[in-house]
Parts: sequence; structure tokens; C-alpha cells
Amino acid sequence: MLESALARVAPASATGSRPNDALRWIAAVFFVSALAFGLIAWAVGDVFFLRLATEALIYGGLALSVDLLLGRTGLLPLGQALFFGLGAYVSALVLKHWDASFWLALGVAIGASALAGLLGGLIAIRSKGVYFALISFGLAQVVSKVIYNTRELGASDGLIGVPAAQVGGGLTSAVPLGFFLLVLTLIFIVWALLSLLMDTPFGRQLAAVRGNEQRLAFIGVDPWRVKLAVFVLAAMIAGASGALYPMLRGFVSPELMFFQVSGNAVINVIVGGTGTLIGPLLGSSLLTGLRSVVGSWTEHHHIAIGLLFVAVVIMAPRGLVGGLAPWLQARLDRRGAKDRI
Amino acid sequence: MDWLQFVLAPQVINGLSIGVAVVLMALGLTIIFGLLDVINMAHGEFYALGAFVAVALIGMGLSFWLALLVTPVLLALVGYLSERTLVQRVFHSKDRHTLTLLLTFGLGVVMEDALKIVFGANPLRLEAPIQGATEMLGLFFPHYRLFVMLFGGAVIAAVWLLVFRTPLGAMVRAAAFDRHMTASLGVPVHKVYAATFAFGVALAALAGVLLAPMYSVFPTMGRDFVFIAFSVVIIGGMGSIKGAVLAGLVLTQVQSISSLWISPVWSDPLLFGIMVLVLVWRPQGLFGRLGHA
Amino acid sequence: MKTVFIATLTTLAAAAAFAQSTPIRIGVVTPLSGTYAGIGQQVRWGLDLAAREINAAGGVAGRQLELIYEDEEANPAVAVQKAEKLFQVSKVDFLTGTVNSGSTLAVGQVAERNGKLMATTVSFADSITGDKCSPNVFRVNARAGMQSAALADWMATTRPNANVFYLGPDYEMGRSTVAAFKSAAEGKGAKSAGEVFAPLDNKDYSPYFGQIRSSRPTVIYTSVAGNDTVRLFNQMAEFGVSRNVQVVGASGTVTSQNLAAIGRNADGFVTGVGYSPLIDSPENKRFVTAFEAANKALPDLYGTDSYGVLYLYKAAVEKARSTETDRVREAMRGMSWSTPQGVKTIRAGDHQAMQDMYAVRVNSGKFEIVGRVSAAAAIGPDACTRF
Repeated sequence: MLESALARVAPASATGSRPNDALRWIAAVFFVSALAFGLIAWAVGDVFFLRLATEALIYGGLALSVDLLLGRTGLLPLGQALFFGLGAYVSALVLKHWDASFWLALGVAIGASALAGLLGGLIAIRSKGVYFALISFGLAQVVSKVIYNTRELGASDGLIGVPAAQVGGGLTSAVPLGFFLLVLTLIFIVWALLSLLMDTPFGRQLAAVRGNEQRLAFIGVDPWRVKLAVFVLAAMIAGASGALYPMLRGFVSPELMFFQVSGNAVINVIVGGTGTLIGPLLGSSLLTGLRSVVGSWTEHHHIAIGLLFVAVVIMAPRGLVGGLAPWLQARLDRRGAKDRI
Repeated sequence: MDWLQFVLAPQVINGLSIGVAVVLMALGLTIIFGLLDVINMAHGEFYALGAFVAVALIGMGLSFWLALLVTPVLLALVGYLSERTLVQRVFHSKDRHTLTLLLTFGLGVVMEDALKIVFGANPLRLEAPIQGATEMLGLFFPHYRLFVMLFGGAVIAAVWLLVFRTPLGAMVRAAAFDRHMTASLGVPVHKVYAATFAFGVALAALAGVLLAPMYSVFPTMGRDFVFIAFSVVIIGGMGSIKGAVLAGLVLTQVQSISSLWISPVWSDPLLFGIMVLVLVWRPQGLFGRLGHA
Repeated sequence: MKTVFIATLTTLAAAAAFAQSTPIRIGVVTPLSGTYAGIGQQVRWGLDLAAREINAAGGVAGRQLELIYEDEEANPAVAVQKAEKLFQVSKVDFLTGTVNSGSTLAVGQVAERNGKLMATTVSFADSITGDKCSPNVFRVNARAGMQSAALADWMATTRPNANVFYLGPDYEMGRSTVAAFKSAAEGKGAKSAGEVFAPLDNKDYSPYFGQIRSSRPTVIYTSVAGNDTVRLFNQMAEFGVSRNVQVVGASGTVTSQNLAAIGRNADGFVTGVGYSPLIDSPENKRFVTAFEAANKALPDLYGTDSYGVLYLYKAAVEKARSTETDRVREAMRGMSWSTPQGVKTIRAGDHQAMQDMYAVRVNSGKFEIVGRVSAAAAIGPDACTRF
């Protein structure tokens, strides 16, 4: 749906150029900087900024799941926090009552999100555009209301006392640098897998759904299945990210499923650059930091971010990376052409 | 018989006064979508803004009736300006649906926060202009609610007449149907679009002023209310005025009456469930036009 | 050798003197934006006033108090992040200001992890000093059980064997508040005429009025809050439901934040709280005058309890002669100190402040005192088993 914009970011490979070079370059810069940030923060003995950065990466995972739907398939999800919160609650329950194992909690959360994604997808996938957005929103509202009222899940107070997750070899989620690096690695893996996925036939099908669903059906691929598959995948990524939250903060609350989380994720994606996959990660990191910093200066931080978002939608709908990538691509192409001559 | 009189009848009547307000909101939404192809996610905030402006005007000394007339006009101006300066910018991209959705979503966030900053987070009060109630057949009829029902009903009828029975309405419908042809017939299409958006916003503001004495006035009042308005529009069919009116009245009745049997917490999920079912059975809504996604 | 000795001694003395003159930093994590900003505003006013007074009188053990504010938006996820920032980056010695119970509980964990103490002045969920108590969390305000006790006592005295209809918002807190009052009231002879729970943020309560009317209650108890109260009370007046019926409710139902919007329709409402600006004591009169002069508004219970927490901290630190966590905690347990509400005492077993409770009636925008229950009678059992 942001087809015209996206065409400028990642032109079809029919022209023979390598459109992903610029994006890969930007991604490399991002991950290396994140790594450097972590090491420097650890070296100066900081804990707060490391944990804030970990939180930014966790929300980055949620942003990736939104981008998968919005940027790649053309579906705007206004309730993705549902899966994020679900993953968080499942993870918290596993850690508290079953076993404080990182892998177990993550695994069960991903499984639960896949199931929820299947159920939610069956309901939502039939629609597009604003219908999909509203159904996604409505699902999140309904489930978050149920959780808000369930005493066994802590009701409106949420669950506290979630123990640190044991990863293995002495590493737990309470170790700031260790957990930061672990989350960074996980996000990197998810990003890499998604990037590779976009180059497979399945990835092409997603682009086809975004472009013209009917034509896809004519060539024998059922768009409904494709959409359901990507919805479930997005749900799993969101759930996995959510699972990491209680490991970091030691608690969960219904606010994790509220519209503000879904809305913030969409804002992160748009500002970062829809459809670029690395853009949402960048947007999430920048805006999480920005919200924290601006929030300490003034009570009016919501409106500041809101204005920024509106400005981006009107003046730079391709977002940060979306605007940066073509420029960078042109420079890389020129350099490549020079080498070939 | 007792049950009918003391339990069912009040539910029906209350459903009507809420229903009229919901229809006013839904009308604005469906007109903006049907005639402009724009999904206005800030509609709830325009509703809230209407209520706040009315409170401010009354605070400055205007009577409620004057505020009732002036507020929609003021908000129409705000709507016109928003359309010309903001919505027009993203209007001409290939898929305006997603971009206008995002733009109006962002606009809603900004407006809600602006309201909080200007008016504070605490609820405000608007005194009902007509006090008192009549007791008839054991039922209570607060006079103000009766007024809302009648006035709202009159407005809905007027809108219908305007859109379907006047040359102005014909012009607007033509512009929605075929922009280029209408433009080549000499109709200033840009202005028509902006005016239509303004009109839809004015309806939301009117709903805001009418409901303010019944429900309180606070910055987030639009957010929940717009969800039911959207559901009504979707079920009735986006772009269909008949659909908005029928769906609005029927669904509020369903919610009102069903709360007798099921816990009221489930009345919003019930509405959501109905919306999903309708979309599955008839994706364009009950009276919607095909081709509008 | 002697010069080295003297030099070391003077350096140490200078360092000690320097340490004495560095300010004590108090972190405040409170909602400054969002729906609860009104409460956060009162918290801020109360804390600022207390800090000004304490600093003008020489500070705490000779050191000035410095307040550092962060906005938690009434969201535990944000509160936790800001609390960590205050502990780690701003290096605060003590934290306060959280409003909703979820935030208080979550921030309590952060306090434990950082080895520091915190106190809440607003959250009234019983669990905070009950089954979810923490050795690093103190509560200066009255908890829900104490509020119910005061109200039930008043009701039993003025309307014995009342027929009570319960109306609450359908979520955990709303239901448990109703349940707590119901058991307190029925323990004193009240009867139940029925109960109904409306959705949170419900706009129209008229569907329930038929049921209420037909049950002919003498008292209506409600635990709605904020905007819901405005709608409920205005609609009850609109439909004549509240005529000839005594309306009572939780302490959060009618507060200074929504009183203006309810207007005269709140008259006659009675609740159990820990404070009213009309408390007739020289301490309170002095406090109210100073508060009004500084903020052009009357203090409510949130502002007053926040004012009180800094004096508790001052008393504890001066008794412990240190800001070190374990020593301050020891000092706080059992500490009695003077507040505008009278003398409060922190119960050592659960860190809950004990105070006399009042039944207050709203009348033309004022909270008149109509009843009083002693601290010992109101406090209820110690349900904290963690320490």
C-alpha cells in the first residue's frame, strides 16, 4: 500500500542492481554501533542505559513484527501489542511457576503466540485496510480487558516477583551486559532471517499480496494462506519479544497489551522506515531513547512525539531509513559502476 | 408485563438516546469515507474537541443553545483547515487509505494531548440546559434526553435530505463518484472535499456538545466512543448513510437490551463479535458499496 | 609523620563536612501527564511544600533535601524505567510518588534490587502492605481496609441495619473494594439489597437504575472513580435515583479532581478517608494555610500524605543518624511522627501507617467531618508474612 514509496526504496531486481546493499550496510552500522554502545556502557559501569537499550531492542522486535505486516504485506495492525503482552504474561508465568529457564519461557511464549496468531489470523485475515486495522485493534481491546479482570493473572496490578531467567553457563537475565548482548543477538537473528525470507518465493508472494492480491490468486497461490502464514509469523515474533520483557523488568502488567504499545510500535515503524526491516529497529531504538529523555524534561512528551509522527507521515513517509537508503544506494551504485569500468 | 414496563422499556428508551448520539458520530465518519475515501481516525478527538469548545464558550458567558449552534460551525472551520493543510498532502498517493489512516491517527494523538495541555486532565462539567424529568407509566423521562433524541433525530433527517435531495448534495455525490468528470463540469472539487470533511467533523462536534451534559467532558472521551462509531459504520457499510442510521440505532438497542442478560462488560466485545461476523458474511457491510475496501 | 597525620585528619574532616553538606536526593516517580496528572499535581505540591519547610529549618540532619521528579504516566512499565533511572543515574537515596498500585508494586521490586527504600502516599490496595509486602516498601496513606472500617462504623451508627445496594466498576479493584466494604458493613448489621457491576468507563448508568429503584435501598454504596463518578452522580440526579437515599462510597470516588465536574450532585455523599481540609487542629490549619498560599488550591488527601512522607523520612534519618538503607528501615519501623492528620505510627509488622480515620460528607464542595475512628480500631490485622 505504500507501494510507490517502497518502489523507490527497494526497486525490483529486474534492473539487475542489488537493492539490498544499502539496507545491509545500514544494518551493519546499526548492529555494530549497538555492540559498541553495550561495551562502552559496561566499561563505565552503567546499568540503567544498558537496560534501557535492552528495552529498546525488545520493542524493536515488536516493531519488526509490525513492519512484517505493514511494510511487507500491506496490512496495518493496530493491536499487535496483544501478542507482545501475551508473550510477556506466558513468559512471566513460566518463570514464576514452572522453571526459571530462559529457553523454556521463550519457547512456551512463542508456541502460545503462534496459537493465538492462528486464532486471531483466522478472524482478521479476511479483511484488509481499515477493517483489518479495526479488527486487530478490537482483538487487543477484548483480550486486554479479560486480563485486566482476571485475578489469577494479577488483574490490574499485574504480576510481580518474576525471577531472573537462567540462560546457562552462569548467564541470567539479571546481568545487564550479558542479557543486552543476548537480546541483541536474538534480534539480529530475527532480522537476518526475515531479510533472507524476503528473497525467497514466500517473500515475493508477500510483496505480491501487497501489490495486487487478485493477480496472485490467478497464478495459483492462495493469498489467504500467505496472509495467514505471515500473520502467525508476526505474532510469534511479537510474542518472543514480549517474552523477554519480564526477564528484564521482573514484572508484567496489562498495560503491555494496551493500545499505547501498539500505537508506539506503528510510530516506530513509520519513523524508522516502513518495509525496510532495519528501519523499525532504528526507529524503535531512537524513539525509546527519545521518549525517555524528553519525558524527563517535560510532561508534554506525548505531543512532541505525536507531532514528529505527523510531520514524518506528511513530509517523509518513507521514514529515516527509507529516505537514507536510496541516497546511499546511489552512491554505492556509482562506486560499483566505477569499479566495473 | 411488569418486566416489560420496568425493565425492558427503560432499556429501549435509553438505547434510543445513546443510539441517536452514536448515529451522529457514525454519520460524520461514513460521509467522510463515502464521499472522500478518507478514514478519519481522529473523529473521536473532534467529538471531544466539540465538547470542550462548548464548555469554553459557555464559560465565557454564552448560553448552551448558542454554544450548540456555534460549536459545530467553529469545528467545521477546523475541519476544513485540517483537510486543506494536512489531508490533501497525502491524498494523491497511490494508496491513500493507509496514509490517511496513519495521518489521522497521528492527528488524533496530537489533538488528545493538546486538549490535556489546554484544559487539564480533570473532567469538566456541563450543566444540562433542560432540567427535570417526567414520570409516565412508571418510567422516568429526563427532559434533556428527550430533547437529545428529538433534536438528534431532526439533524439526521436534515442530513439525509441535504445529501439526497438537494443540488449541493448531488454535487458532492458526483465528486465522490467521479472526481475528474465532476471537475470538468466546473465543480471546484478540492473545495467540495474540504467542505465535506468539515461537515463530517461538524457532525461529530455536534454529537460532542449534545452528549456533554449527559456524560462528562475529559480529554480521552473520544477514544472509546469512536470505536463503537467505527463498528457501526463498518456493519452498516462504509459510505452508506442508510447503513449508519440503521446499524447505529439497532446496535445500540442490542447492546442496551443484551445488558439485561449478559454481564455489561461483554457488551463491547459483543459488538466487536457482531462486526466480525458481518465482515465474514458480507465484507462490504450491510448496505455498503462494493469496491470500497 | 605528624604533618601527614594532621593532613589526613583535616582531609577526613573536610570530607565528612562535605558529605554532610551534600543534599539528600529524593526521587519522585509520579504521573505528571495522563489521566492521573491531577493526583500527581497534588503529590508534587505536598512534597514541594514539605521540602521547602524542611530545608528552611535546616534540612535533614543538616543536609538539604533535593527532589527529582520523573513522569510515570500511571504506567508500571514507565514507572519501573524511571525509578531505575533515579536510583542508578540520579543516585537518589529514597523514592516516593507512585500512584497506582501496579506501579507501586513494580517499583518496590526495583527498590529492592537497588537496595533502597520507597514509600507510597497514594496507592491504597491492601496487598501492598499485605500479601505482596516488601521490606523496602512503606505506606504512609491509609489502605482500603482502613477506609472501609471508618465508613462502615459511621453507617452502623447513623443508619443501623441499612439496606445497601452495591454498584461498582467491573474490574478487580472495583469488585474487591465493594467486597471489602460489604463484609465490614454486614459485620455491623447491614443487609444487601443487591449488587451490580458496570463496565469501567461506562457512559450510561441509566440501564441499572430500574434495578436499583425496585430494590428500595436506604443506602447506595459505590466504588466508581474519576470520570465514572461524574457520570454516575449526574445521572443519578437526573433520574432522581439519589433522592431519599444515602450515597456512600470509596475514598477515591469523589476527590478534588472530579468534584468540580460533579458539583452539587455530590452533596450528601459520605466516605471514609484519612484526611479532610476541615480537620480542626492547629497543625492542620497551619498546613492548609501554607498549602493554599503556595498553590491557590486546597490540599486533598494525596497532597497531605505526600507532605507527611518527607517528615517521616526526616524523623527516621535523624533517629538513625544515617541515610543508609538498613538503618533507616529500622528507624522507620514503629516510628511515630506528627502530620496534619495527627500523629501517625508506622506498624513494624507490615510498614503500614496507622492513623485515625474520618468519615467525611461532601457539602457544597467541602469535606465535612461526620465521624471518626481511632487508629487501632481501623488498622485491621497484619497480613504481611514476608518479614
